[in-house]
Amino acid sequence: MTQPHSTRGAWLIVLASLIVIAICVYDYYTPESGLIGAGGVILVAGAAGLMLLAALAMARMPNRSSSLQTFLVVSIILDIIGSSVAGYFLESPVIMAAEALALIGWLMNVIGNAADRSVETDEVEDED
Amino acid sequence: MKTKMKTAALVALGAAAAAALYLSPFGATAQNSMMMAASDNQVWDAFGGNQQAQKYSTATQITPENVKNLKRVWSIHTGDVSSGARSTTWGATPLFVNNTVYVGTPWYRIVAVEPDTGKQKWAYSAGGADGPPENQGLKNRGAAYWAATMPEGGKACQKIVYIGTMTGELHGVDADTGKRCAGFGKNGVVDVNAWATKNAKWKIGLIQPPAVYKDTLILGWAGNDWVYKTENPGTVYGIDARTGALKWTFNIIPPDMQNTTGTANVWASISVDPETGLAFLPTSSPSPNYYGGDRLKEMPYATATVAVKAETGEVVWSRQLVHHDIWDVDTNSAPTLLDIKKDGKIIPALIQATKMGFHFVLNRNTGEPVWPIEERPYPASDVKGEVAAKTQPYVPYPEPTIPDTTPPVSKFADIVSFGECSRWKARIRDEGRYTPPSVRGSISWPATLGGVEWGGGALDPVTNTYVVNSNVVPQIYTLVPRADADKLYGDKLRAQDGYAAQQGSAYGFKLENFLNMWGMPCWVPPYGTLSSYDMNSGKLLWKKPFGQVQKWGFYMPESWGSITIGAPAMTKSGLIFIGASMDSRVRAIDTRSGNVLWKHLVDAPAVSQPAIYTYKGKQYVAFAVGGNGILTPRLADQLVAFALPN
Repeated sequence: MTQPHSTRGAWLIVLASLIVIAICVYDYYTPESGLIGAGGVILVAGAAGLMLLAALAMARMPNRSSSLQTFLVVSIILDIIGSSVAGYFLESPVIMAAEALALIGWLMNVIGNAADRSVETDEVEDED
Repeated sequence: MKTKMKTAALVALGAAAAAALYLSPFGATAQNSMMMAASDNQVWDAFGGNQQAQKYSTATQITPENVKNLKRVWSIHTGDVSSGARSTTWGATPLFVNNTVYVGTPWYRIVAVEPDTGKQKWAYSAGGADGPPENQGLKNRGAAYWAATMPEGGKACQKIVYIGTMTGELHGVDADTGKRCAGFGKNGVVDVNAWATKNAKWKIGLIQPPAVYKDTLILGWAGNDWVYKTENPGTVYGIDARTGALKWTFNIIPPDMQNTTGTANVWASISVDPETGLAFLPTSSPSPNYYGGDRLKEMPYATATVAVKAETGEVVWSRQLVHHDIWDVDTNSAPTLLDIKKDGKIIPALIQATKMGFHFVLNRNTGEPVWPIEERPYPASDVKGEVAAKTQPYVPYPEPTIPDTTPPVSKFADIVSFGECSRWKARIRDEGRYTPPSVRGSISWPATLGGVEWGGGALDPVTNTYVVNSNVVPQIYTLVPRADADKLYGDKLRAQDGYAAQQGSAYGFKLENFLNMWGMPCWVPPYGTLSSYDMNSGKLLWKKPFGQVQKWGFYMPESWGSITIGAPAMTKSGLIFIGASMDSRVRAIDTRSGNVLWKHLVDAPAVSQPAIYTYKGKQYVAFAVGGNGILTPRLADQLVAFALPN
């Protein structure tokens, strides 16, 4: 059953994903990055691509099922954690900063969603 | 009269004081410093920085305090890089001399650039790089430089730069113009193959530039000692620096053994004592590398340090570092020369670093050890026909860079490979140092990758502080009986899985890296270290993991260290500069503490040793950045220089 979910923070996650993809492309093709041709960069770029799709779904599908919402929220946080660890071992502060941005977006969404749920519950209680 | 007596007394007192100063340890330092001052020109005119292979610069502009401000001032790409079957390996040390930076490239070109801008002055191609890869393929460790002591005005080629090729040609070009020197060999080219005709299986590879002493070039070469039982016997050539004429030859393999073995050649750099005219030759193992059943007779000059007179090739002394070498632990770097101050005396000495992680510290005039060397018993071979040496030289002091036993299996690597590492180790021979190769497989510890790799260490001759990078790498050596080898590999001389034919002998050979299914090392880190010694006392000052492993772009913890290829260079101001690490970074390290003070990314691992020079009052540190397929697939063609901002 679909119901309205928060879209807050989703565009921030989209932005963060795009930054990560851009950085990965730069690193992959730039000798001075120390990461030229590195498989780890492709991995992070792929993860950022998935996060981008998830964030777009979050932004463009406000009416979604609770299970999809849970899937998106869990996927994105796992993506953020995994990519942050990868960014740490790639010694790429920009990737880690972008993931921090994505985390802010994720928190905005989760908190916003909880707040929305809380308001809805209050409204139901008021109606009672 | 009184005045005369006073004067005589003062003169006598002065003379006594001068004598005491000269004979005392402090005097030794003063004398050494005077020697340093005489050569304080801040050039870098040889592979090892100077003829003594000290890799030391008297420059003091860049210090431990300001090195953090070091910036890249120029970077050029020579264009001489390729991968796949024509993969390049570039371990050149740039030279700075004649107000020019010269570097040899793996496409067998010399590129001459301005020292402060990197702008090209001229380039010379020895040719042949686009042909089929011969011998070692596209591999180069730089160029050599010679200048006439009494130059004839207006005549070309009073200063010559030399480069060898993979096809055994030595080219000599004018250092100012890059034009061939017509008087050197045949129109600027000496074909060394013409001298290396015995058992010639391939054209010899001149990847290492010759050493230069007065008007003599001392030239070794590289071979393929894994491939055939009988190969070109290792011969060192003394060549007239002006004309290219052969002055002398030195045969490492005795004549009566030359039909049963080969190589034992000098492929690493050579150092020279400019005062005594002795050249120090680091010799390698005979062919075939890993089965010695056909070459049981002693060959004292193989895997040894041999001192010869640079102008005649006459042997003065030799010391074998590994008896009956069946591990391919070639002596892989030029001995570093130094004057040790010990018990109030000055000992003219050399340090011979080895793949075994030993430092043989010898009197360079006699070959006698400065600190005792032991003969220790080691395991026998279980291979039919092979007789491993009963004892091997062991150097307890200075402390070896690696321990005597193989490092334990990494639990992490073992667990994630479902016990592959421990199972593998359990089924092969592992008896520590000098475990002989076997049919069931043996851990070679240390293996062909060292211990100390080619390049050796660097020395501050004022303080006699010596620094050296070393690998901690066991590898698996397996002999393949000929019938099985023929069945599995047919006529192949080499195969991708580490097979080498050792054709003509009873066994083929397989070299495997001790890695699990994920490519992780099966042993515990560190994989590489940097050590510092006080060579007046032989005491280890510090030893730290060095470099970082980089896999798929991910940097592993610094405490793991890295396998390194290349060597350090030192400055009088207390800095060590070194590339060498897998992670494509070059670093500056505090000589006193071993702490990394500065690091900078470059295009690939800088598998060379840097050149440190001063030009127009500014100090530069230059690296040839080429990579090496043994470390990572990342290859490059970058020549880069760093300096402090104006």
